Amino acid sequence: MKKEFQFLGKDFPRKEGRARANGFEKYPSDLYFDNMLYGRILRSPYPHARIKSIDFSEAEKLGAVCVSYEDAPGKRFNLRLVSVPKATYKDWQLFSDHMRQVGDFFGAVAAETEELAEQAARVVKVEWEILPAYMSMDAALAAKDNLIHDKVFLEDQEIKIKNNIACTREVVEGDIEAGFQEADVIVETEFETPRQYHCQLEPRSCVVRPEADGGITVWPTTQAVHNTRILIGSVFNLPLNKVNVVRITGGGHFGSGIHTNPVTLITTALALKSKRPVKIVQSREEDMYDHVRYPSKYVLKVGARKDGTLVAGHMRAYIDIGCHHIQALAYLGVMSGFWHSLYRMENMKYEGTAVYTNKVPTCAMQGYGAPQVTFGVEGTMDMLAEKLEIDPIQLRIKNYVGLGEVFWGQGPTVKSPIFSDGVVELLKKGAESIGYYKRPGSQKQTGRYRRGIGFARGFHTSGTGAPVPGEVKDYTTVQVKVNEDGTIDILTALMDHGGGTLDAAAKIVAEEFQVPFDKVGISPADTRSTGYDVCTHATRGVYCGAGAAHEVAKKTKDVLLEYAARYLDAYPDSLIFSYDEKSGQTRISVWGNPEKTTTIAAVAEHAMNKDWGTAIYSKSIRKVACPPAYTNYFVEVEVDTETGHVKILRVVAGSDAGTVINPILAKGQLHGGFYRGAGMALLENTSYDDKTGCLTNKGSMIDYKMLGIDEMPDPDDFEVIFADTYEPTGPMGAKGIGEAAFNPAPAAVTSAICDAIGIRFTKLPILPEDIMDALGEGHDK
Amino acid sequence: MKKLPIELTINGRAHELLVSPKETLLNVLRERFHLTGAKYGCGIGECGACTVLLDGLPVLSCQLLAVMCNGKKVVTIEGLSPQEAAAHPMQDSFVEEGAVQCGFCTPGMVISATALVEEKSEPTTEDIKVALRGNLCRCTGYENIIRAVKTGARKMKEV
Repeated sequence: MKKEFQFLGKDFPRKEGRARANGFEKYPSDLYFDNMLYGRILRSPYPHARIKSIDFSEAEKLGAVCVSYEDAPGKRFNLRLVSVPKATYKDWQLFSDHMRQVGDFFGAVAAETEELAEQAARVVKVEWEILPAYMSMDAALAAKDNLIHDKVFLEDQEIKIKNNIACTREVVEGDIEAGFQEADVIVETEFETPRQYHCQLEPRSCVVRPEADGGITVWPTTQAVHNTRILIGSVFNLPLNKVNVVRITGGGHFGSGIHTNPVTLITTALALKSKRPVKIVQSREEDMYDHVRYPSKYVLKVGARKDGTLVAGHMRAYIDIGCHHIQALAYLGVMSGFWHSLYRMENMKYEGTAVYTNKVPTCAMQGYGAPQVTFGVEGTMDMLAEKLEIDPIQLRIKNYVGLGEVFWGQGPTVKSPIFSDGVVELLKKGAESIGYYKRPGSQKQTGRYRRGIGFARGFHTSGTGAPVPGEVKDYTTVQVKVNEDGTIDILTALMDHGGGTLDAAAKIVAEEFQVPFDKVGISPADTRSTGYDVCTHATRGVYCGAGAAHEVAKKTKDVLLEYAARYLDAYPDSLIFSYDEKSGQTRISVWGNPEKTTTIAAVAEHAMNKDWGTAIYSKSIRKVACPPAYTNYFVEVEVDTETGHVKILRVVAGSDAGTVINPILAKGQLHGGFYRGAGMALLENTSYDDKTGCLTNKGSMIDYKMLGIDEMPDPDDFEVIFADTYEPTGPMGAKGIGEAAFNPAPAAVTSAICDAIGIRFTKLPILPEDIMDALGEGHDK
Repeated sequence: MKKLPIELTINGRAHELLVSPKETLLNVLRERFHLTGAKYGCGIGECGACTVLLDGLPVLSCQLLAVMCNGKKVVTIEGLSPQEAAAHPMQDSFVEEGAVQCGFCTPGMVISATALVEEKSEPTTEDIKVALRGNLCRCTGYENIIRAVKTGARKMKEV
């Protein structure tokens, strides 16, 4: 149940909002330094090739500084340092003569102007040896030689690659053969999800400035400043106290900054060689060849008893990971975890295979494996409900993993108990609000336009914390300090992607101290001045990150209480903080002694003048759980049976985020998560020309196709319901929200289309031509 | 290539410049004046993040050569507010309505929204969807942006 708060649960304009709306916020691409050079990356026009020779002489005549595989450090690494070393496959090099995708990088040039850099890049001469390209998993798996990688390293152990298989993972619980024998009904289906592109508005960019002490300062587009620092230090053999990575606002990430972007390493190489500041802003086309969501193709077999109890499940997945590992092993692990943790199943087996192809390397995108898995699992639940003639909502309620159970959404090494659960409340309220039980269904409709209501549920973990260490690192370091005027500063390397993570930390600290929100500030941060923070990913921002700020704030408050107790001549345990709205002051008073009262500001100033010290504390905090943030979407669509066009009419979102810190921003997370999820269901994919290995959208955002403002429902038709829950392990009862807001969206849209026209799609995106084909109408190619 | 002289008024101040015929308005604003509120998101007129006002109308500054703007008045997000000390009511509304997430599209959105309201003081949801169709946002799902434009329109009336 919710508690009463002074500031939490109320709408507040976000702190960073003003700078962003007024155009003064600086992003990496906005930085300019004296004497700065502009870089351009040299890229392969072929999907698979080897460089025989490279000639920079014409570029150097233009005054360009050039770097290539010839002066690369050669070290193997993984760009993503979230996992522990023993679970990290390394197949990247800073530059290589082996090109594995169109757009792969083999060098870079820097010059006085962007135009000159572009000219220099064009006159670099390369002699190529073209290799056979593997543009599909089937082609890649059939290959015996000319492999995309011959060998890779798992930590420091060399691994020979066979048939372009990057890695495999098997997770087993119980005995599926025995389980399936108990089943009265079995559903087995192949599902496929697309290579969605993040399309964050700012292309990945970087600025690096060499410093007088031999170090460098780095302004990258990243979600993880500390991991970026550690990777740069390792690749370039620089001491970590000479690599200062600055936290700077990024123009959207959605997972594309969990790993260090290649552009960051390339810019560093140019800056170290030229000894001048260098900036690289990638073009949109380059950005599309840089990162993309993991697609998934899997056969899911699930068995259930007549009463709807699930008894066994088997998932066999093949993942086309593109030409590099950005932690495919972790991806396979979370696929099994998200699946296993949606619905209780004593007997389960997951078999995952990650396959290299000559395509853009795949990485995390909002939801990681959850939207992919939720799409198939929720589709399967609908099919089972139909076969068993059980209400689909009741079937979910019977089987979902909830309160008091153990789940492991982030893979088998991240097991955590569930202490809060708003699933039933949200399903019931959502169904009621959208009129789920009053829907006509596909049987009763004729005519051009058919309407359908569907739903799906899902969750995301709030971070990757667990009671025991696993394959993934998870902690945040925070310092909280009370200033001599009663204002408070929070110093942490925690990142905000735009959702309001840092704002949430400030609000929670404000609540703890009972000081107004505007008196709590977030200090500028860089890796030199902060302790380690793993990354803002896995929906850990509020629960783990702001949670760490809360724990540290309590410690800082203890210091302040000691000072206050001395000042008021009382015992610390008898002191109470209260915010007086009239005076705008936060008072510290001794209970039962109303005359003994002061303010935070007076105590802090007194402590300074008496040389007692500053009320300050700093600590690394690891959360020992990662509670599920549950979400469901009920969606109403209208399908035009003459064009195959799907219009989203109404959305009712249900979110169990525990205590809601700032409702207006939390609602924004659901709006945005649904928008990108519906895009994955209806439009978004990156496809390739098999002959050239090029993206068929040719780097154009319009041809990539996303939902536009005119394709989203009107604001009055997008309702958000928050569950009345309180997470006992969270900061003031809060859990995560970010990725949970995406995960069930593609499945919900698919379910609504099925309700409208009676056709269940198992492959995303569901394009208008797919609908026309399925309706038997065909379409013009 | 020979540089050409142009006159540009940027956020109320007149400037005389020598520009290359290939230079875009976006480049002039960002590289020469470090007015980085107008963003580079695609460079080919697809995303709207570079939107500025040219003689009062919203334009894609990445699609205009600087020489085409000779003698014209440019207003960027940094100069949108008529008062130096206070933000434009549309900027306030974007913040209050939770329409700002990563913020990269926000300057272009606010410029387009302001131009819409200057033309139509009480825009409907449909009007807003048409006017902002050329401004892409990847974060918000547009819901709070639509609300913000309506609130902004109300506030602009009050000023």
